[in-house]
This record gives sequence, C-alpha cells and structure tokens, in this order.
Amino acid sequence: MPDSAVEEKVIATLASVKRISTEQIKLDSSLQDLGVDSLDTFTLLFELESKFNISIPDDEARNIRTVGDIVKGVQRILDAGKDGSTLGSTTAPAS
Amino acid sequence: MADRKVAVTGVGIICAAGSNVPDAWGSLQRGVTSIGPITAVDSSLIRFQNGAEVRNYDPFKYFEGSRADHLDRFAQFAVIAAREAVEDAGITFTPWLRENTAVVCGNGGGGQITQDSGYIDLYQRAKSRVHPLIVPRTMASGGVSHVTMEFGIHGPSYTVSTACSSSNHAIGQAFHMVRRGEVDLAITGGSEAPFAMGCLKAWEAMRVIAPDTCRPFCVDRRGMILGEGAGMMVLEPLDAARARGAKIYAELAGFGMSADAHHITQPTVEGPARAIRRAMGDANLAPEEIGYINAHGTATPGNDPAESAAIREVFGALADRFGVSSTKSMHGHALGAAGSIEAVVTIMALHDGILPPTANFTQADPACDLDYIPNAQRKVQAEAALSNSFAFGGLNAVLAFRASK
Repeated sequence: MPDSAVEEKVIATLASVKRISTEQIKLDSSLQDLGVDSLDTFTLLFELESKFNISIPDDEARNIRTVGDIVKGVQRILDAGKDGSTLGSTTAPAS
Repeated sequence: MADRKVAVTGVGIICAAGSNVPDAWGSLQRGVTSIGPITAVDSSLIRFQNGAEVRNYDPFKYFEGSRADHLDRFAQFAVIAAREAVEDAGITFTPWLRENTAVVCGNGGGGQITQDSGYIDLYQRAKSRVHPLIVPRTMASGGVSHVTMEFGIHGPSYTVSTACSSSNHAIGQAFHMVRRGEVDLAITGGSEAPFAMGCLKAWEAMRVIAPDTCRPFCVDRRGMILGEGAGMMVLEPLDAARARGAKIYAELAGFGMSADAHHITQPTVEGPARAIRRAMGDANLAPEEIGYINAHGTATPGNDPAESAAIREVFGALADRFGVSSTKSMHGHALGAAGSIEAVVTIMALHDGILPPTANFTQADPACDLDYIPNAQRKVQAEAALSNSFAFGGLNAVLAFRASK
C-alpha cells in the first residue's frame, strides 16, 4: 500500500476515534495538541489493528508523538509483512 | 459535632419519563406511562417486548468529541443527572468545597451494554480481541468517577451496589456523611443502563418481566417492566443551605436499613417493615406524620403483597390515611437507579404538594389493601414521605423525607 493511502487511512481512523474533522489532522500534528488522551490512544491502536489487519505490540508505542509517527510505524509493519515491532500501546493504565 | 439537619437543594433526573426534572416530574405527576417497545436490541429474540427506555437519547448532545465514547450509558446518565442537580442547587465549587464534597452513587450491574458488546465480539463474532475501553467503561464505579471529574471533587466518593436498593443505600451513606459533618456537600443518587441483550435474557429467565405493562398492586399484574436512567440530588446542611438562600426542596430526615436473611429472591414482610421503622425512628417521625409512600412496587407476584403487608404492619389502621404509589408503573424498574429516580419523585411530591399516581391501575389484588392512588394524581401537601427500595437478596433501604417549612 503506498504511503498516501496509509496516511489517508490513519488520518480517517484518528478523525473517527476522536470525532473531529480530517482537516484538523496534519502529519506533524501532535496527539497531545489534538487532545488525544490515553483512552483515545487505546481505541486508536485497536481500530488501526482492525483497519490494517496488523498486530501492534504493547511495548513500543511510547515513541508515538505525532500523526506522522503513526503513519511511519504502520507502514513499517505493513512492509515487514508480519506482526510489527515499531508501534505499541502508550502508558499502561494505573490499575 | 451534633448531628446536622440535611437539606435537598438540587435535583436531577434522566429516565424514560423525561431527560430532566421538569419533563420527567411533569409526566409522572400526570400519570403518563413511558413504557413502550424496546428499541435497544432485537426484541423478537426475547420473550417480552416492552421496556422504559430513555428514548431519542443522543450522548453527543451531552458530551463533546470522543468523551462520550469513554463512558458507558449508565455513567453518562450519572453525569447528566448530576449536572442538572448541581446547576439546580446553584453550587459554585471553591477549592475548599471540592475537598469537602462527597459523591456516592448506586449502581447494580455496571456497564452492561459495554460488557455485552465485548462478549458479542468474542463469542458471537469469534473475534480474537475486544475493545480496549471495556474495563473503564464497565466498572460499576465509573459513574461516580466521571461525576468527580466533571466537577473536580476530591472528597469521599464511591459506588454502592445492593441490586435494586443500590441508590437508596447510596443516598443513605451520603446523608450520614453530611449529617455527621464529615462533608459539607454531597452529590448522590444512582444510575443504571440494563438494555443489553445478555441482561434482558437474564431477566427473561427469571420470569418476572411482564409481557405487556407494569400494574403494581393490581390483581392482573404480570410482573415488572425494566427501566433505565439516573436520579441525582444535592445534599447539604440545612442551616448552611438557608444561610446561602438556597432553594430547599425537602429535608432528608432519616434512613433505615435491614436485611431479610431469608432468600435470594423472595422477600419477607418483616425485613421491609424493619427498614421502614428504622427510617422513621432515625427521622424522629411519628406514623401520623407520613402523608405519602413511594413504594418499591415492582408489580411482581412476590413484592407487592409483602410490601403492602409491611406497610400495614408498621402503620396499622393509620395506613388508610395516606396514599402509596408505585411510579415504576411509568418509568419502569430502573434497578440500581430505581431508588434515586423515586427519591427525586418523592422530593418533588413533597415540594409541589402533589402525590403521583400508580398508572395502569385496574383492580387491586385482594392481598394488597392500601390506597394506591390509582391513575390520577392527588393534590395533597404531605408533611413527610417515605421512599422504599427493596432488593433481591433481602437488602432493604428506606429514605424518609420531611417537607420544607
């Protein structure tokens, strides 16, 4: 899948999870600026796994800061053609 | 510190009868039933078709962006009713007040719609994973947590779960804290959202749901009708409420609890009677002062004669001097939220001098010998009123309110 299609799908997924317009989302938008909290992040990762039919490991997503980070991570998992190693969940819930 | 008198200074409600107090109370006092065909699930798959749902409910009208997705329906209802109660009470939260406010709510089953959706994914759709927010949406304490976050409250806050008595037990705990001076304000009530297939199937299997409508205390009653929603109230010391010029709906004067220690579904007469006596004793109310009882009145074969006999046992011939109604005939049985909705109804009855009727009333069961206010409201200014909640498992909780003078 070419980058632009991945990018488009990631942005559409994020817009749907956060219930905001896709126009508000740019590649360099930080998740924090978009108001994406930890619960939104869990949901986003869940939806991305479904949409791209991938499995995102738990322990690496602390690196996600921007929409671009997600697009790159998803792309790497897709290119690897197997369960990925570049994305994971953010901070685990406290209890 | 000597016990303080406790005032109700704000009320909130969302239920089948209306999404705020003016709408719901307006409908309930006129005897309008809000029972209709269930829309939340495919009711052709269950043996009963009717329920008392909050209809045309759009969570995004109440919660911005993705916030609605973080709350199960029962927690949304809790926040919505709490907002109304706090606004109604005219509370301005200062940092000090936030430290000295409690939130105590009743809930029976937690986020059942969320839990159901997870099980449907897992067992019906054979998915290998479930939505990541199932835990925070399902936990029964979620409603209270979201209410604390809504107003930034840092005082004692928790959920009480005693099945259909949950809300009355919760309101009772909040009442105790305000009365004893442990807190200076409490937001209390309860919420429930049981219209999920798994839950409806469980109730179907209990064989206590009416196929048509809810006719409490009637000879031809066929069982209860499930409801949903939330009721909330703001409690504060009566003196403080007067000092700030707050509107005082009623005084929450007493609370009584008891356990049947008998059977997990069948009620006794003695258990409810004991809770009623304790509530009246706690409120220092004489039997002559009671002018209305909002009954538990589920319209099941077991409850209605037992509750009627319990009232008769406590009041004797005096029970013929006041009206007893079950507003479940209109807003359904909201389970863990039932007591909260009915407490708000009881408060409004005292405040407005109107006793709401038992709707759908046909003919009294010979085993039920009280005045059930059939089908039409009465303009009666009661001095004091009780609101009964009894539960499967025999955990009884009765609230006693006094009209504001």
